[in-house]
Amino acid sequence: MKIARRPLKSEIPSMAMGDIAFNLLIFFVILAKSQDDSHLEWAPASARNLQTSGQSIVSVLVDKDNRLHLNGKEIGVSDLSGRIERLLGSRPMGERTVLLKIHKETLAQRFEPVIEAISQAGGELVHVVEEQNR
Amino acid sequence: MAIRHRSKLLSEPPAVATGDIAFNLIVFFLVCASTQPDSGRQQVLPRSEQNAQVEAERENLEVKLTRSAVIVNGEITNPDQFDVQIGNRLKGKAQPEDRIVIVKSEKDVPYLRWIDFTSRIEDLGGIITLQLEEEREVVVP
Repeated sequence: MKIARRPLKSEIPSMAMGDIAFNLLIFFVILAKSQDDSHLEWAPASARNLQTSGQSIVSVLVDKDNRLHLNGKEIGVSDLSGRIERLLGSRPMGERTVLLKIHKETLAQRFEPVIEAISQAGGELVHVVEEQNR
Repeated sequence: MAIRHRSKLLSEPPAVATGDIAFNLIVFFLVCASTQPDSGRQQVLPRSEQNAQVEAERENLEVKLTRSAVIVNGEITNPDQFDVQIGNRLKGKAQPEDRIVIVKSEKDVPYLRWIDFTSRIEDLGGIITLQLEEEREVVVP
């Protein structure tokens, strides 16, 4: 006597849909971080009376090798003002925040033209530093 | 005689999924931590075109930073006395244009020192204006 085989079900388990959706959500949150400069090496200076900087679409960083980066990509100081102006567009005041991350040992001859360029582009400057212990 | 055939229904979450749940939670908190906004100091700098005009019209407080000294209106100042000196000079000045402090830095001043003094000036009510050395090319015939 032949015993008939039971057909195997090959459906994707619907129970995992929540997990898949959750992982996709996290993936897109990470992608949305356009100005990722976490791969760059720098040490922040310290200051008192800090505030939360809020969200910004522009991040300028001078790393420990004195290289200038705009939103994680290397750039020359002469191009900085124009590029920031383009990124900020016609945003109103309060939404023109530019995060400035400068390695603590960087000299004035390097960081002052950067600050001037941000100011010329009409950016609202926020120095990213850590809290100073008195 | 009635025979009870009812099997017990599983009412606990499957233990197999615990690893997945833990992994997802780790990823979730990692993403939350990496998207947290940074803390910093806001600095309002007047646009550079305006600086020359302001400077020409008024006599502002001037702070010069070198690698080892701080000079307020031409006088070398003890860094511990800096807050008192600036505070006294800004006392009673209500107008924003009177509270402008021109900061000049020598080329070798590190950012660490610069942010320390400029944040002290701002905490005392001063408005920072940078004065940069201009580089000009001179063609010698």
